[in-house]
Amino acid sequence: MNQTTEKSAAAPETAAPDMAGLSRAQLRRMRRFDNPWRNPKLILGATLLLSIIALGLLGRLFWDVDMVFTGSGLPRQGPVGVENLRGQVGTWAHPLGTDVTGKDILALLIIGAPNSLYVGVLASLIGMSLGIFLGFTAGYTGGRVDDVIRVGSDVMITIPPLLILVVVQAAYGDITLTMMAILIACFVWQSPTRLIRAQVLSMRESGYVQMARLSGASSGHIMFREMLPNLVPYLFGSFIANVTTSIVTAVGLEVLGLGPQRVPTLGRVIYDAINSGALIQNLWWWWGIPTALLAVMFIGLLLINLGLDEVSNPRLRRL
Amino acid sequence: MPTSKNRLLTSVSIAAAALILGSAGAVLAQDVAREDTVILDLDRTIQDPENFNWMTDGTGVRRMQGAHQGMWEPLFVLGADGSVEPWLATGIESNETFDVWTLSLREGVTWSDGEAFNADDVVFSVDMILQTAELNAREVAQLRSEVASVERVDDLTVRFTLKKPNPRFVSDNLAIRVFGAFTPVPEHIWSQAENPATFTFNPPVGTGPYTLTSIATNRAIWDRNDNWWGAATGFIDLPEPLRLIVLETGGEEARAQLMAANQLDAAQTVTLGTFEAIQARNPEVEAFAPGLPYSWADPCPRQLEFNTTVAPWDSAEMRRAIAHIIDRTQIVNIAYEGTTSPSRTMFVQYPAMEAFISAVVDAGYGLPATADVAAGQALIEAQGWTRNGDYYERDGETLDMAIHVNSASTEYTRTIDVIVEQLQRAGIDARAVPVENGVFWGEVLPFGNYEVSYSWLSCASVNEPWASMGRYTSASVVPVGERAPGFNNTGRWNTEATAAYTEIVNAMGVMPLGDPAIPGMVAEAYQYLAAEMPFIPLVQAAKLLPVNTTYWEGWPTTDNPYNSPAFWRGDTHRILHNLTRAQ
Repeated sequence: MNQTTEKSAAAPETAAPDMAGLSRAQLRRMRRFDNPWRNPKLILGATLLLSIIALGLLGRLFWDVDMVFTGSGLPRQGPVGVENLRGQVGTWAHPLGTDVTGKDILALLIIGAPNSLYVGVLASLIGMSLGIFLGFTAGYTGGRVDDVIRVGSDVMITIPPLLILVVVQAAYGDITLTMMAILIACFVWQSPTRLIRAQVLSMRESGYVQMARLSGASSGHIMFREMLPNLVPYLFGSFIANVTTSIVTAVGLEVLGLGPQRVPTLGRVIYDAINSGALIQNLWWWWGIPTALLAVMFIGLLLINLGLDEVSNPRLRRL
Repeated sequence: MPTSKNRLLTSVSIAAAALILGSAGAVLAQDVAREDTVILDLDRTIQDPENFNWMTDGTGVRRMQGAHQGMWEPLFVLGADGSVEPWLATGIESNETFDVWTLSLREGVTWSDGEAFNADDVVFSVDMILQTAELNAREVAQLRSEVASVERVDDLTVRFTLKKPNPRFVSDNLAIRVFGAFTPVPEHIWSQAENPATFTFNPPVGTGPYTLTSIATNRAIWDRNDNWWGAATGFIDLPEPLRLIVLETGGEEARAQLMAANQLDAAQTVTLGTFEAIQARNPEVEAFAPGLPYSWADPCPRQLEFNTTVAPWDSAEMRRAIAHIIDRTQIVNIAYEGTTSPSRTMFVQYPAMEAFISAVVDAGYGLPATADVAAGQALIEAQGWTRNGDYYERDGETLDMAIHVNSASTEYTRTIDVIVEQLQRAGIDARAVPVENGVFWGEVLPFGNYEVSYSWLSCASVNEPWASMGRYTSASVVPVGERAPGFNNTGRWNTEATAAYTEIVNAMGVMPLGDPAIPGMVAEAYQYLAAEMPFIPLVQAAKLLPVNTTYWEGWPTTDNPYNSPAFWRGDTHRILHNLTRAQ
């Protein structure tokens, strides 16, 4: 009902577009534009991600997650009904099978998938916060501060993060998930800094900012109360892209055997599989299911990103 | 479906093989055919590949990259039955008090550059070791600690004078026993070196039937020298393989795929499941034993080593508590999939060691195969720790333990994963700290830079008890941060018990091999190890080493155990000489 009100309110501006020649389905989609957040890509992407979070939350309630530890079941069991190389058929005791040390794959996924997501989101949150702060400061303040931040981010952007992180983590041996996220965050602030700085530079000269300045508003007020809200969809997009980058980095490290040793993550499961000859032993459920879950996670993030793009940029919306 | 899957896996493995061998491509493209080449697996990176100075090599990779399997030869080789086979030497004799030994060298031996090998080379090498403390390989440190002086008697005779009697001088120093041994270097080359500790010995020269063709961090290629002295003098025929390649395969999956695709002739240890999978795809692949457990008992039983200078593990009670909590049977079942057995003592369970093992077990110091967690927890609680939730705490501090483990093999990390779980369930916040192979042997172990580590530093004895027991005496104790000589007593165990232990072990050390009093003394000394537990023996080290008979036959097996199947040791010469072309 709300939509109708909005529609009529918006009518004078849209100046009664020519609806002739549009099919019913297209008309339905046209109406959806009235609420850009009902974007199908956004919804599908969010559903995929939420399903992973739900797996983590509900799984802990309904499944014995202590089975992530060594020796929880018979080794090398296939998923239900699947026969392994020794001719044993998988049972409901381990619906997705076990690895070579008897860890339950389902339990590993219940704990591991949200962990991988957690590292990505946390690293991205920290990186974005840093990026927003530095980008706004550089763009709005200008001068020396801008030079320092700009050069700093330009230099950092040329350093391959994985290389540094491999060295750092190899030196530490074992680190926590949070520590890993913080380390990754050190390498995901540069792009948002640069992009936000560019946006702020163009926004600085716009009328409403000048008006605010004339009214005597403080820099902090102008930056974070006047300008920031205009960047929200854009920041969301950038945030999601950063989550993807962070997860890729984290998984990359885990697949190399770095990162937390005893805390299950999807990358760690894949590392163990590679390291124990899972391919030659045909234990596809060990590396295949976590890989598929990672794919779901990345597709979800991509869809959300595309959806957010369409939300913030109506020209991208198609009928 | 299975066919297409197999085809896919085969193409993946061939691609992997091509990738790994890619850098060797230029050399391989030369004229040595695959059926004339034997390819051995290497489980670590050849750091500093241009350096062939084995005397400063702590990790062993400067020898096991093919140098001591093909290029350098040992003076003697020790058999599993205790017999000593002369190689560059023809024999050795001692005086009645075992402190003067006279070594006879083989006639007609030459270095690969044509110079004669003789007593001058041996005397020069030993003198250099005695004078250069920076030469720190384990075998070098051992020799330096025993030899007082060395002299040339004639061209083929050398006399060693020891600091104190040692009836095992040959097996301790001159014979390949568990990995390497003192290997003489050519005087005509090394005498030019300004500083033996920084000399890289490149190009390397040896007396063996292979010479270096090319080396990189991931592989070494050695070609047969048809002018080898052994064939010329009638000692042994030339080995059949024209080329020896030692290749870093990089992990279980890669070595399994290479093995299945016939790109590897002998692989480092794999897990049972992987071995069965390789065999299913390539029936030409075999192991030391024809059936379960397929494995060969490596002479280096696994153990947990405590740094006894670090609290709370400086307390013998705490160390004993950990020993109670560890369930050896579970390690065997999960980490080794039943291919090995729990250790009863610190010793390797070879038939020749049984008398000593029985003496320890009969005296009540044998280790149980399963855990007694309650007993362990009682010991911890007696030390003032109380369990609060998951973990024990004392004065607001959680009881935790960081276990350093070499990340080079799944065998190591998997064992530690099992132990970490056992300790966690008992209330100790244990965690594994995997470390790269070079760092583990180069930085962590010798300098005592660990709290607890997983290793095999008791390894040495195969037919007498002293070699292993002698590694934990107070003579080897140095402060943390200084290099422990020859990786001995890296845990810095140095208490009154150590002193009492050392006294018995030293007394045992000068007694002739086979003295009937020795088993009793072993048990007597062992009471101190049992009471203070400076290290916890875990399980015997079973190695499941796949060998490929597609191109080469004659690998050591249980039916024909002419040598250990450990192709990274200095006695691999005997394997190479025994291989015959299969096609």
